[in-house]
Amino acid sequence: MIIIRSLFYILIFPGVLFTAAFGLFLAGVDRKVVARMQHRIGPPLRQPMYDFFKLLGKETIIPHAANKIAFLAAPVIGFVSLALIMLFIPIFNFTAFSGSADLIVILYLITIPGVALIVGGSSSGSPYAGIGISREMVTMMAYELPFVLILLAVARKAGGDTLAFSMETISKWQAANGSMIAQWSMIPAAIAMLLVIPAEVGTQPFDVAEAETEICEGPLIEYSGAPLGLFKLNTAMKMLVMSGLFTSLFFGGIRTGFYILDVIVFMLICVAVTIVCMSTIHAVTARLKIEHLFKFFWTFVSGLALVSLILVWCGL
Amino acid sequence: MIQHFPVLAVMLLFLAAFCVEIFGSHNAGVRNTIVMIAATVAMVLIYALIKPVMIEGQIISYWMGNWEPVSGYAIGIGYEVDQLSLFFALLVVTTFWLSGVYSLGYMSKDHHLGHYYTLYLMLSGSVLGLVMTGDIFNMFVMIEIMTFASVALTAFRNDNEGALEAGFKYLVIGSMGSSFTLTGVALLYGQCHTLNMAQMSAILYQNLTPTSIMALALIVAGFGVKSYIVPFHTPAADAYMAAPTSVSMIFAGMVNKAGVYGMIRVLYTIFNAMDKSTVQMLIVIFGAVTMFIGVTMALTQHDFKRLLAFHSISQIGYVITAIGLGSALGLTGGLFHAMNHTLFKGLLFLTAGAVLYATGTTNLDKLGGLSKKMPKTCICFLIGAFSISGLPPFNGFVSKWLVYQAVYTKAVESGNFVYAIVTVVALVVSVMTLASFIKVTQAVFFGQCPVELKKTQEAPVSMLVPMYIMSALCVLAGLFYPLVNRFLLHPAAQSALNVTNYIDRMLGEGYAANMGVENIQVAPVQFSFWNPIVWLILFVVIFVAAGLVIIGSKEERGKMLQQGVKYDAKYATFFSGEEEMFSQVGGSDLFWGFKTDWKGYYRVLEGLHSGIVTDYAVYTVMATAIITVCMFVFMR
Amino acid sequence: MFNKLINDSAAKSPWLYHINSGSCNGCDIELVACLTPRYDAERFGFKLAGTPRHADIVVVSGPITSQSRERLIRTLAQVPEPKCVVSLGSCPKSGNVFKGSYSVEAPLDNYCHVDVSVAGCTPKPEAIMEGLYKAALILKEKREAMHK
Repeated sequence: MIIIRSLFYILIFPGVLFTAAFGLFLAGVDRKVVARMQHRIGPPLRQPMYDFFKLLGKETIIPHAANKIAFLAAPVIGFVSLALIMLFIPIFNFTAFSGSADLIVILYLITIPGVALIVGGSSSGSPYAGIGISREMVTMMAYELPFVLILLAVARKAGGDTLAFSMETISKWQAANGSMIAQWSMIPAAIAMLLVIPAEVGTQPFDVAEAETEICEGPLIEYSGAPLGLFKLNTAMKMLVMSGLFTSLFFGGIRTGFYILDVIVFMLICVAVTIVCMSTIHAVTARLKIEHLFKFFWTFVSGLALVSLILVWCGL
Repeated sequence: MIQHFPVLAVMLLFLAAFCVEIFGSHNAGVRNTIVMIAATVAMVLIYALIKPVMIEGQIISYWMGNWEPVSGYAIGIGYEVDQLSLFFALLVVTTFWLSGVYSLGYMSKDHHLGHYYTLYLMLSGSVLGLVMTGDIFNMFVMIEIMTFASVALTAFRNDNEGALEAGFKYLVIGSMGSSFTLTGVALLYGQCHTLNMAQMSAILYQNLTPTSIMALALIVAGFGVKSYIVPFHTPAADAYMAAPTSVSMIFAGMVNKAGVYGMIRVLYTIFNAMDKSTVQMLIVIFGAVTMFIGVTMALTQHDFKRLLAFHSISQIGYVITAIGLGSALGLTGGLFHAMNHTLFKGLLFLTAGAVLYATGTTNLDKLGGLSKKMPKTCICFLIGAFSISGLPPFNGFVSKWLVYQAVYTKAVESGNFVYAIVTVVALVVSVMTLASFIKVTQAVFFGQCPVELKKTQEAPVSMLVPMYIMSALCVLAGLFYPLVNRFLLHPAAQSALNVTNYIDRMLGEGYAANMGVENIQVAPVQFSFWNPIVWLILFVVIFVAAGLVIIGSKEERGKMLQQGVKYDAKYATFFSGEEEMFSQVGGSDLFWGFKTDWKGYYRVLEGLHSGIVTDYAVYTVMATAIITVCMFVFMR
Repeated sequence: MFNKLINDSAAKSPWLYHINSGSCNGCDIELVACLTPRYDAERFGFKLAGTPRHADIVVVSGPITSQSRERLIRTLAQVPEPKCVVSLGSCPKSGNVFKGSYSVEAPLDNYCHVDVSVAGCTPKPEAIMEGLYKAALILKEKREAMHK
């Protein structure tokens, strides 16, 4: 029985199918909202789904300078780790799998899709990809520091005298004491997280790694066909994972009493988070250069997160 | 019978060292036979001790020449192998056996191999003796043999530029470390009137006089030099780079673990000083600084082996931080990370050696595209790189997770914000480690292959076999860590925290109780985040993902296989329409954005690493002074 | 099982790659104008891709100058199937005012199969969008043919 339930969690909800479908939907919402902000009509909400299926039908060309195994395995590894993370994120009352150290596992699993992109780009043997992966790695170094500070602040706040790295504990603490966003000492951390999310997903102004016009799409330059489709799917799933993480860390105290209603509220908050931190910032900003990006994250965003950590540490 | 095994192993190695030079200096067959027999027999003897010591909990004690203690005073040299010693002895023995197998192929092009193997066997014997001895002056003697063998091996290829200089730096700084240790040992002898570590532990229990605090500071500094903590780390970069790679692997895998073992022995067993918050904070801060400086220096290196050397320094920083916490969790994490470091750093050095053997250079600016020429080396390298970066499911992930948990638990328990900052530093250093290995991957294995390297071949089998063994151990240690914990780590941590057994075994039952030593029981560490259900998840998800890719690309697979065509524009790299030309992005070209932002920091740091030995000696003395002052002023 | 969905998606998500083979830039400006809010080609799913490997529709403008001919052929070879070539403007169709010059090698027909040709100097954005839309439908037919 537990095997069938585990399989359901892994494959249908909240595993592969839900993450892929809702992630593609969020990507569609992002494009539509950006278009509307630019006074255009924009593509239909199902556009990323059409993109993905079109790519599945294209030919896969593997350049002769590429390392074939790493080239093809990289998107699969990213896909697997993203599907795994979603299983650890609680949807208010319900968590598929929970342990006592979820936050650290999530932190490490979130770096894996970035590493998969880097290994895929590196293995394609193109110099444009080499520049792209260098920028992607520096971006990862840049946003890891504030991300770690935010997670430590949340763990300390929800733990009180002990540590609370388990997502279930954090969710229950928020149900008892009110959501994290309502604690005034966690507001700088929430703002910092809203700035970390577009960097993780790779949208403007932090998309210097995949700069289309400048380095011809960076790490993805030699990809075509189904592996490219998987990488685009990974980006979409990462949008969901990051918004979901934000929702469960900062809004996790909502309990409506009905399971289906919980899921719907969760999805709505994810859409709202996407619109606020990804589409709005995407539509109004230009691309930052890599040295400015690094400085921005290690001074401003880390400063905000550090303020939260210190406030939480002093017991507020 | 088994109590003779430790001494036999050490003596056999020293004897073989002499025999190699006498009988084998001109005959490769005799030489290789002697070396492999000695290494294998020593390894078997030590592995045979696992069952009695680790599983059944015995402690082996052996008095040399049968000089038992007289009226409660130890007058002879004693060998005492408890679980902590055996843990490190296992690491030592595995490392030098694998290095021996690797040397057979790797050093085959060098001359004076009789000298090489003599020094190698003496180095191995001395480190093995160091971890198994129970007498502090014997430990010092072993340190001296280790230092001189290491210096000679560093400068072995003395026709390479930089080898002699590296050996000289190692000699100066290493001798300073040994001198500090000797002074500390002398002070302790004056204080306790004995040289046996177990007896000293009983005498000094909760009884620290100013003399013994001075001795503690000096000995900690001495062992700090051996384990290459910042600012004692300066000879490490040159030494690891200049030495032949099989020796670099021994340095990274064995010699700095000897320093770590020494620190644990001194702090936990002899002085029992790890419950004082000053000492904890001092060691943790040293560890944090080491981690950070090691990795930031590594990000700017142009040479493969030098980069690996700085990473070694950084990972030992993790171990020292974990050990300095004084808790069972910290000790378990530190010991596990030490073991994993031996495995993955040894593996990485072996791959660097394979690249050097095949191409003749380790300069990151000159290499590229070797994954197609040396595929097996590439896979082993990737396993090592992902292990050191701490990605699941390799072993680095588990040990780093233990270290983070230990530090943050300590932060919450003691309420001290410094430990929270140390956690953040540890996590950021982990990402920078990943960045640095991505740089090496792109510069050496992926990317485009320069014309000069078109003819490189895969490394010979005798070099590949140790790499395979270490990769397999990395993966297994990551997957089966509860077993590792139960059989290796928990006994070792328990024995380090619990000195009663140590004292009793050497000096007779009840001795410890007479001197007022208390017995501490240590609860086993819980691992609760990785259970078999997660493995089921992983397999099923991979299956589904692979299925998606396969369905989508079903009819295109035929075309994929045609890519072996000579030059077809379709399969060429995209260069905006130009013909494909060589423009490898690697080595110095990567991460320039990061380096630009950190210009000021690097100017200071590279100014400090001036390469002048007198500067390095000044740093060593200054750091020793700081340790001494801190211990005296803040000891409570 | 997903074939119908994949075939339909081929028409609904065509990605463009633009090659300028000696154009005066007039057609290029009009092509980019298609993506502006006034004409909004993105509502049909059109998107500019940065590399030919991601492209479905290759839009070529300009008379094929001698210098750019080889680069054009190489880039066209790097586009994965199914692909459509759209020649933009009158220059690739006939050479326009440059016909007969020593360095112009129009028409594009000599080097690859042109699926849609949008004539004009410069063609209006509405015309370009109609041409691109027709190319998208041809993509779907090609995909169906490829799969059989």
